[in-house]
Amino acid sequence: MRQAGLTAVFALLDPPPVRSASHPWRVIAPDLVPGHTDCVNPRDRLRAVSRRVTDPAETLAQEATERVIDLVVNALDVNELAARIDLNALLSRVDVDALLKKLDVDALLDQVDLNALLARVDLKPVLDRVDVNDIVQQIDMAALVEKTDLGAVIASSTGGMTSEALDAVRSGAVGLDKFVDRWVRRVIRPKQPWPAAPAALLTAQAES
Amino acid sequence: MSTPARQDALVSYQGHYAGAVSRFAAYSIDLVVSTAVFALALAAISWGVRIITGHDVSWNRSNIVVAVIFVIWQFVYFGYCWAVSGRTPGMAMLGIRVVRADGTILPPKQAILRSLVFPLSFLLFGLGFIGILVQHEHRALHDLIAGSAVVYSWDARAAHLRFLARQAELAEADITSG
Repeated sequence: MRQAGLTAVFALLDPPPVRSASHPWRVIAPDLVPGHTDCVNPRDRLRAVSRRVTDPAETLAQEATERVIDLVVNALDVNELAARIDLNALLSRVDVDALLKKLDVDALLDQVDLNALLARVDLKPVLDRVDVNDIVQQIDMAALVEKTDLGAVIASSTGGMTSEALDAVRSGAVGLDKFVDRWVRRVIRPKQPWPAAPAALLTAQAES
Repeated sequence: MSTPARQDALVSYQGHYAGAVSRFAAYSIDLVVSTAVFALALAAISWGVRIITGHDVSWNRSNIVVAVIFVIWQFVYFGYCWAVSGRTPGMAMLGIRVVRADGTILPPKQAILRSLVFPLSFLLFGLGFIGILVQHEHRALHDLIAGSAVVYSWDARAAHLRFLARQAELAEADITSG
């Protein structure tokens, strides 16, 4: 009885060592009697020391990285890099339809300042490349004059009495020329058709 | 008034060989113009002589000097006009011009040659002009010698547009009044 009481007292004074579950040979120190040093973690000192070492190192590493990136970017020949890129292969992988579907063209155009854009465009080289003669050739002037007010403009600007009289005289003369020519051909009956115009003028007419 | 179809046909005649009527009408106008200018020039000379010397100068048709000057004037009138522009005032009115046989612009030398050989066509009662009717390129004797031809050159397209414009204007006036 006395022996059991002493064992209990010693057990309180000297508790058995607690062993770690993962490392059974490691003995975890028992908590001491609670006191004023409870809030001080002895590892904090080590952490503080390591922070003082790692923070400048991290800054140094960042600066070194930025410097290296600058050097690499400066050393890069972007043109050569772009030349190596196979744009066709790149573009073939782009789904343009899907891209365009997502594009709000109206919103895009709203943001475009056409006046500023046109002010920057040099229209002369563009117009130099336009074949105006070809465009004019495609215009049906007769239909244009008949259907628009252009006829009135022409009539008021050029339709003087003199021009009307000249037109009438020339038209009449040409009509009589053709009338006489028809009768002459009926009489002499040429074996081959006569040329209508000199060769150079026929070629010019064909080209126009 | 010409019809639109007729006007379209006229447009296509531009550059074609001119016929006898147009050429004869042009020559008639030129003859009137050149004679009038010659007469005005003689009148001006007479007036000048009278002002300066006080003597009246009368020009007689039978005067050989006047006849020679008139012939020279005719050469100058036609030769100069053909060499400079390929057309005389009468030809300009009728819308015809002289070109080389191949259709290119007539050089001054050929124009002068044409004016020099032009009288040959009047010989033998004007038989030289028969070529205008029966030759396949409507070339007279002086054309064959000088290597020239006469073609229509008036701006038939502009005339056609003027015609259409007048038609449109008349139609609009009809609509407005009706």
